[in-house]
Amino acid sequence: MPRVLIVEDSATMRSLLASSLEELGGELEVCEAASGFEALRILPRDAFDLIVTDINMPDINGLELVSFVKSNASYRAIPLIIISTEGSERDRAKGLELGADAYLVKPFEPEALLRVVRELLGKREEG
Amino acid sequence: MAARRSRSRSSKGPAKRPSQSKAQREFVSEAEEILERMRGDLSDLADQRAAGGDVDPDLVNRLFRSAHSLKGLAGMFGLESLSELAHHLEDVLDGMRLGRVALDSPAPNLLDEAVAVFAAELGVLGAGPSAGSDGAALQDLISRIDGAVQAPADRDVELTDLDLDPALLRALTEYEEHRLRENIRRGRRILLVEATFEILAFDEGLAELTAAVREAGEVLSTLPSPGAAPESQIRFGLLAATERDAESVRAGLDFPHAAVRSVYEPPVAESRRQPARVAAPAAPQPAAPERGPKPPASADIESLKSISDTVRVDIRKLDELMNLVGELVIQRGAIGSIARRLGAEPATARVGMELDKAHKQLDRKIQELQAGVLEVRMVPLRQVFEKLSRVVRRLRRDLGKDVRLELRGADTELDKLIVEDLVDPMMHVVRNAFDHAIESVEERSAAGKPSEGSIRIQAFQRGNHVVIEVADDGRGLDLERIQARGIERGLLEPDATASRRELLDLVFVPGFSTRDEVTETSGRGVGMDVVKNNLTALGGVVDLESERGRGSRVTFTLPITLAIIQALVVGVADQRYAIPLNSVLETLLIDVSDIQQSDGREILNLRGDPLLLRRLADEFGLTGGGVEKPNVVVLGLGDARLGVLVDRLEGQQDTVIKPVQGPIQNVRGIAGATELGDLGAVLVLDVAALIEDALRRREAA
Repeated sequence: MPRVLIVEDSATMRSLLASSLEELGGELEVCEAASGFEALRILPRDAFDLIVTDINMPDINGLELVSFVKSNASYRAIPLIIISTEGSERDRAKGLELGADAYLVKPFEPEALLRVVRELLGKREEG
Repeated sequence: MAARRSRSRSSKGPAKRPSQSKAQREFVSEAEEILERMRGDLSDLADQRAAGGDVDPDLVNRLFRSAHSLKGLAGMFGLESLSELAHHLEDVLDGMRLGRVALDSPAPNLLDEAVAVFAAELGVLGAGPSAGSDGAALQDLISRIDGAVQAPADRDVELTDLDLDPALLRALTEYEEHRLRENIRRGRRILLVEATFEILAFDEGLAELTAAVREAGEVLSTLPSPGAAPESQIRFGLLAATERDAESVRAGLDFPHAAVRSVYEPPVAESRRQPARVAAPAAPQPAAPERGPKPPASADIESLKSISDTVRVDIRKLDELMNLVGELVIQRGAIGSIARRLGAEPATARVGMELDKAHKQLDRKIQELQAGVLEVRMVPLRQVFEKLSRVVRRLRRDLGKDVRLELRGADTELDKLIVEDLVDPMMHVVRNAFDHAIESVEERSAAGKPSEGSIRIQAFQRGNHVVIEVADDGRGLDLERIQARGIERGLLEPDATASRRELLDLVFVPGFSTRDEVTETSGRGVGMDVVKNNLTALGGVVDLESERGRGSRVTFTLPITLAIIQALVVGVADQRYAIPLNSVLETLLIDVSDIQQSDGREILNLRGDPLLLRRLADEFGLTGGGVEKPNVVVLGLGDARLGVLVDRLEGQQDTVIKPVQGPIQNVRGIAGATELGDLGAVLVLDVAALIEDALRRREAA
């Protein structure tokens, strides 16, 4: 079963994302991290197939997390979705430049997230 | 109007879950928490503005993040009007943190109003579909906020000349970039401090490093990168702005493995008065920069002013200080005894007297020092209380129970370390009261009680202890049911008559619960035994009183500090022990014939009440000793009393308890060891364990 890590400091948003993803029908195992630091600690513990991260967090920001994941040989291959209200083209460009695979702007419909998740997980299976 | 529209939208909105209303409740509850945090931050901001100095950028950034979270939350729940308001709030705060909105402009004044309006709208949301929101007031506020936000300023400092991996620069958010530019503009040096940590345990080290770098200036960003062993290590780069040079910053860090290098040097001499020109690779010597606005003439003065007169200190540093004070105290004792010895010899009596005088002065100063260090460690219980009231608010909403929380004594102070460990047990007790003790409205009115239940928390100082009582007016404990459960669990003999106290004590037995159902609020299995263990670890005790139909009261009794204690040194046979003085009620010199026998145990008639006695020699299997006129040390913790028989009292000492290592580490009844100057090392008695064992033996007898 594919394992997804959600990194988001708002508890409400985190559980919303988790339940949206779980609607895939139990085909996913969702792990949650409440901060960038927590994500850094969780990453080496399990093999993840997807990371979904917020940008604005209190310790390290989402872009820094992306930069870390994409510069680390062990995690580089994990697809990564950035979710943020930062809708500006600059942040979007930065995120994608750093190696994020998708960028969703809040608010979004859960279907949009599911679509991207399916696509990225499917690609991973093929590769 | 706005609320109704948003509600109909949210039903087809993002969260297509059966528990839509639960999600909404979660939203309201988190939003309330955010608003509460914002109120606190806004009042700090008002204080800082009133003081006239620089405003802490972290504070403004925190406010921005709060507004940002509100916007995201409201947006996901399809609450358009709230999302819009949060969006405008965010704009103002974004402008403030990016330096585009002046702090003396009208905009910051609108923040308090906006938070109040937001809270009111949330209230409407919680009140149900019939309530209407004040859409006009909302729009009016939004347009006033818009009017106050100014056009963005030009970016005049480019970052391409920084001696930094461009990938790192890309990971900075707009705000972090702004702080970087702002610091360059102010002529500060930008340093990169790098250190590698074990990936599974980097928090503490990184927090220490960050705090140390913060002493030298502003930490702009924390950049993680893989360590040399990417599987097990992680490297962090702290980007910092400072007036100091790399060498002096490095020297100030207590991190031998940290690397510090400068990634940007301000132009020499001109740096203080002129804007830095870092974006001109074609012009190698820009002597007189011709573009970029000049910083305010007072920039330097402001930056000096911004040095706050509050310092944040790692509590472990205070522990170290406290240890040093403890060692001073011990040395002082040694000097005192030298002075006495000298004074007793006629040949040296004069020197002895002088030394004694100096010793007394030293003594006073050490006491002041000790009190000073202790005072720094003390924090009021207020924070714990605030957390509890938040929890109660949430429970009230989730369980639909009408319960009033009364808090008294929020200013009572305790050691910071104790306060931190107090949150969980208190939370547990309060949740228990809310969930199990307070009856439903129907049950309450049937019992002739007011429909609103009450939980009253009261804290006060009593001598060297702090007492915290949590009292509810709920259904109280059912002693018959506890007895039945006790027999069922084999904790009581089926035909034995158990006292009220014995029955109440069963509540603290691991896994004991009279409730069959498990509720979400209080969880399963973890009970009062965990609370008791938590308290014991803090050197405290927990007492329970309950009256059927009237309510229960849980009382925590805690030492004010764990750092330093006064001890009574006692002697038994050829051994010495130290007893923490805060649990000694009194000492009595008695005659062996005063000791009475009752049911095979020894008791003493203490002003009409029987006091259970234990011989310390028996506790630790010591032989010899035993005197005609022994001393009784009366110990008290919470409501429990115990008299301990010892051969001698040897005086009082200030001591720092240290954990013991080796074979006696786990001996019951020993809390630790302490150094008593010329008396050498002495074991410290664990009063709570002694009392508990003695009372248990009595019950067993």
